[in-house]
Amino acid sequence: MSVLATNTPRKGSLLAVDDRTRRRNAAERRFQIYGRIAIGIAIAALAVLLFTIVNNGASAFRQTFLVLDIPLEEKVLDKSGTRDIEAMKKVTTIGYGKLIDKALQDAIAAQGIAVEGLTDKDVKNMISKEAAGLLRDRVLSQPDLVGQTLRAKVLANGRIDGYIKGRVSYESAERDSNVTPAQLRLADALKDAGILSRKFNWDFITTADASELRPESAGLGVAILGSAYMMIVVLVLSLPIGVATSIYLEEFAPQNRFTDLIEVNISNLAAVPSIVYGILGLALFINFAGLPQSAPIVGGLVLTLMTLPRIVIPTRAALRSVPPSIRDAALGIGASKMQSVMHHVLPLAMPGILTGTIIGLAQALGESAPLLLIGMVAFVRDFPGAPPEGFFDPAAALPVQVYNWTQRSDPAFVERASGAIIVLLIFLLAMNAVAIVLRRKFERRW
Amino acid sequence: MAESANMNVMRQTDRDTAMADVKIDARGVQVFYGDNHAIKDVDVEIGDRMVTAFIGPSGCGKSTFLRCLNRMNDTIPGCRVEGQLKLDGEDIYDRRVDPVQLRAKVGMVFQKPNPFPKSIYDNVAYGPRIHGLTRNKAELDEVVEKSLRRAALWNEVKDRLAAPGTGLSGGQQQRLCIARAVATSPEVLLMDEPCSALDPIATAQVEELIDELRSRFAVVIVTHSMQQAARVSQKTAFFHLGNLVEFGETAQIFTNPHDPRTESYITGRIG
Repeated sequence: MSVLATNTPRKGSLLAVDDRTRRRNAAERRFQIYGRIAIGIAIAALAVLLFTIVNNGASAFRQTFLVLDIPLEEKVLDKSGTRDIEAMKKVTTIGYGKLIDKALQDAIAAQGIAVEGLTDKDVKNMISKEAAGLLRDRVLSQPDLVGQTLRAKVLANGRIDGYIKGRVSYESAERDSNVTPAQLRLADALKDAGILSRKFNWDFITTADASELRPESAGLGVAILGSAYMMIVVLVLSLPIGVATSIYLEEFAPQNRFTDLIEVNISNLAAVPSIVYGILGLALFINFAGLPQSAPIVGGLVLTLMTLPRIVIPTRAALRSVPPSIRDAALGIGASKMQSVMHHVLPLAMPGILTGTIIGLAQALGESAPLLLIGMVAFVRDFPGAPPEGFFDPAAALPVQVYNWTQRSDPAFVERASGAIIVLLIFLLAMNAVAIVLRRKFERRW
Repeated sequence: MAESANMNVMRQTDRDTAMADVKIDARGVQVFYGDNHAIKDVDVEIGDRMVTAFIGPSGCGKSTFLRCLNRMNDTIPGCRVEGQLKLDGEDIYDRRVDPVQLRAKVGMVFQKPNPFPKSIYDNVAYGPRIHGLTRNKAELDEVVEKSLRRAALWNEVKDRLAAPGTGLSGGQQQRLCIARAVATSPEVLLMDEPCSALDPIATAQVEELIDELRSRFAVVIVTHSMQQAARVSQKTAFFHLGNLVEFGETAQIFTNPHDPRTESYITGRIG
């Protein structure tokens, strides 16, 4: 009987749960379980992601080195004996390479290591092709070293490094034209003798990229610097422009069709795929404005275009969340509109604005698609100069470097790409941490 | 009334308001929100150095009219004011009038206490700072102290001027807002239901304060409470559905209303 028909007070014990209540409680319980399952899946996915990346990439920060005593003979490196840099530059990396090879041969002989089936060339190939160049750079920067015997860390070849890290085995070496099982046996012996070992590799973070054949010496320096330059451009351009736009639209602009149209379009721009901004940047900044390719200034400008709507939207939300009573209070004692915004509304909206900006910057830092189109995917060996000229020099970017390395055939680059991802994630985490700290610092109650 | 009139003289002339100077003169004021005619043809004379109360049921337009007096309605899109509103004989809706300058002369206290999320000192000092009323820190300190004393808050906060204004109790916050409004040395003080968010004790303090403020300012107060209007005001205007039904001395409005609608309202039959 319905309540309408009888219109009398409902009877029934409070202690007995009726069907409706039971169904409602069950629905609530089911909803909570779905929620927990969703969160569980998310945490598991994150854990798998982090585990894979760290597992693959952590080894990129450690590199196999040979510690050798290299006699820097004057008669080879500086025939004139004047330590004149220009004269010393005539000695190419081949001259230095021979010294390193000899040092390794001497070390093997001194330790009494004998490995069968190993030619001199095999021994030589265990050293990275980059090693001679690095030694030459070091000697040219410190000419006094000539004539001494230098105890130096020398990069081992990528395959030897792979063997020490477990990527290369005797079985794979049989099939590999770049490494022989005999070389691996020698590597074992050198390791036992303490000549060959793994050490922390700062060069991974500080040096430039290297060619396909030298994964052991490839570093992120140029990419980190390029990304940093781009972030400076993005921050300097998009924060003031974005905040000023938001303040104008939110506080001053009249409400009409035109501003509605602008509002809709800003929301749409935030959803435009980033690669579209790359095409725009290519047409506008490179083809039309004639700015150089692969330059951080162009990358920064493109990312600024992409970041602007992503800063405007949270900034407007932050401004809107400031209670109108604060604006009334300021206007009521005779502050101008501008003063009420600058003195009261903006400081109160600051935590939201900063958080939005940093999230926008973090997105820009991780963006690779638009940069591919403006030539930042190029192989860049030279560091860009100091700002402001450096903004126009070719550079790489962190996410593009990751993409670049995964395209290469040598499996050693997979490890390096994962290492680069770790560096990128550390930067992103640091930026988010800054966002949280700033939020806490500026947060005020009203 | 002489500038130097002390409180005792004021008490004797409490109900003797006919000879007071007219501070704000409103003639035929109409207010529209879009198509909605919110205020219909209102004529009011607000006297200097007295409290004028606006009473009436919710939505009768008393707050709207109050906000016309310092052009706070300008901030509401679609709001249009017609008629004549003169402050000391000057039309406040004249094209040459900058509302910012007007609001420095006509201060406002709002319904909900809205101190800035800054220190107590900065709250009071904000007005003098932006209007450049003081030349140095010492003068500013003096203005802050004087304003807080005038708002009967000095003794409670003098030891914690650097504490946030939002940390005070509701009544203290409202008195801080009054001090903030007083600090710019306005000529008129508008109060939009200043006690509606306060408890009875805080209300009594603010009412006492309003009574003191009238020695220096023209005070206009919008209130829901007829008792409050009777307690603090010398003149009362009764609004109903956007019309000014009756305007006269408070004693007369409450004891001998001329209009039957006023009588119905004050006896509790409408509103």
